Amino acid sequence: MWTREVDGQRLTFHLAGINNQNFIMRDEETGTYWQQISGLAISGPLKGRQLTLVPSDELNFSTWKSEQPAGTVLADVPKYVSDYAKPDWDVRMQRMPTVIQFAEHGMQARDLMLGIQAFGASRAFLYDRVLKEKLVKDHVGTEPVLLVVGEDNQSVRVFRDRIPGIDTAPDFYRLSPLKPGALLMDASTGSEWNFQGCAVSGKEQGVCLERVQALKDYWFDWRNYNPQTTVWGK
Amino acid sequence: MLGLILLACLAASLVSVGYPMYVIRPFRAQGARELTAALVVSRYRGMVTILSAILALGALAAYWRAQPRKWRRILAAVGAGLVCVLAVAARINVFELMFHPIGHAVFADAAKSKLDGGEKVIAVVINGQARAYPIRDMAYHHLINDEVGKTAIVATY
Repeated sequence: MWTREVDGQRLTFHLAGINNQNFIMRDEETGTYWQQISGLAISGPLKGRQLTLVPSDELNFSTWKSEQPAGTVLADVPKYVSDYAKPDWDVRMQRMPTVIQFAEHGMQARDLMLGIQAFGASRAFLYDRVLKEKLVKDHVGTEPVLLVVGEDNQSVRVFRDRIPGIDTAPDFYRLSPLKPGALLMDASTGSEWNFQGCAVSGKEQGVCLERVQALKDYWFDWRNYNPQTTVWGK
Repeated sequence: MLGLILLACLAASLVSVGYPMYVIRPFRAQGARELTAALVVSRYRGMVTILSAILALGALAAYWRAQPRKWRRILAAVGAGLVCVLAVAARINVFELMFHPIGHAVFADAAKSKLDGGEKVIAVVINGQARAYPIRDMAYHHLINDEVGKTAIVATY
């Protein structure tokens, strides 16, 4: 997700090609070509410019709806509904060949992972392992991060593993069983936290953890744009 | 000379349309240099092919008057026709033919949406406005030019 204004000029994007199975976009105002995954202008008058990232989540609709009851959702275009991705789309994509491979870290080209580019480093987290663990405490660069699986057991959010305003390291663990609206407990403050990363009870009630952007992607694509990436989960 | 002009127009049009199609096609690895070259050709192919078509039609008219042999005239006409076809082809976005852009997106209230709860969505919140894009739709259309919370964004997948 990117903003589409550069130097005050609003751009209108079109699909324009493919670069090692990642889309290239072209804006109709300047004719510049942009790489979808990086938001970088790769050819044309704006070459070298970078679109601004818009933080986004990949969530189950039920989870999103419960958090954003006043939100709006893109409606199907009836004419193309029969062409839309089927429920087994993920499985079918796993079988699709790739044109580049990076046989590193024991990863397969189509392994699904959550990629984080932050704090001067990039790190890939194997998606299935994250779902299995439900709470992952790790580092990206030198910064501690938390990967939290939602109540739907499918959605994942990433947070900086530091409570704003507190110098000592928190000690999060997952509640078992989960409480309505609370997933985590921080032993250091006795506060309960929800999937949005906000404390809903205890000393820190009302405080929210800093969100960290993660991209769900296939290994080959992530590695192509993050050659220095490290891997968690293999 | 006129025949050479026709051939040059045909060659320029074929390269302008064919080279980017050859390089930027699915299920083929794209090297950095060839991709750079293909995108440059893509940027100018509209102009190159239209100029080639105009030049080819002019050369054909002159060639038709000057050339007594009928089969050579016909061959020249076929060549000029092909240049014109390529000028049209250069203006067709094959990727949008395959994945159909959403021109005027329609959005439903979360409460009224019939989307199954287990469907995955990409979600953004900008200036307090929340928007979700179902992956089943985005995996087909791939991008949508949108405005959320008074911010112009391009949602991609």
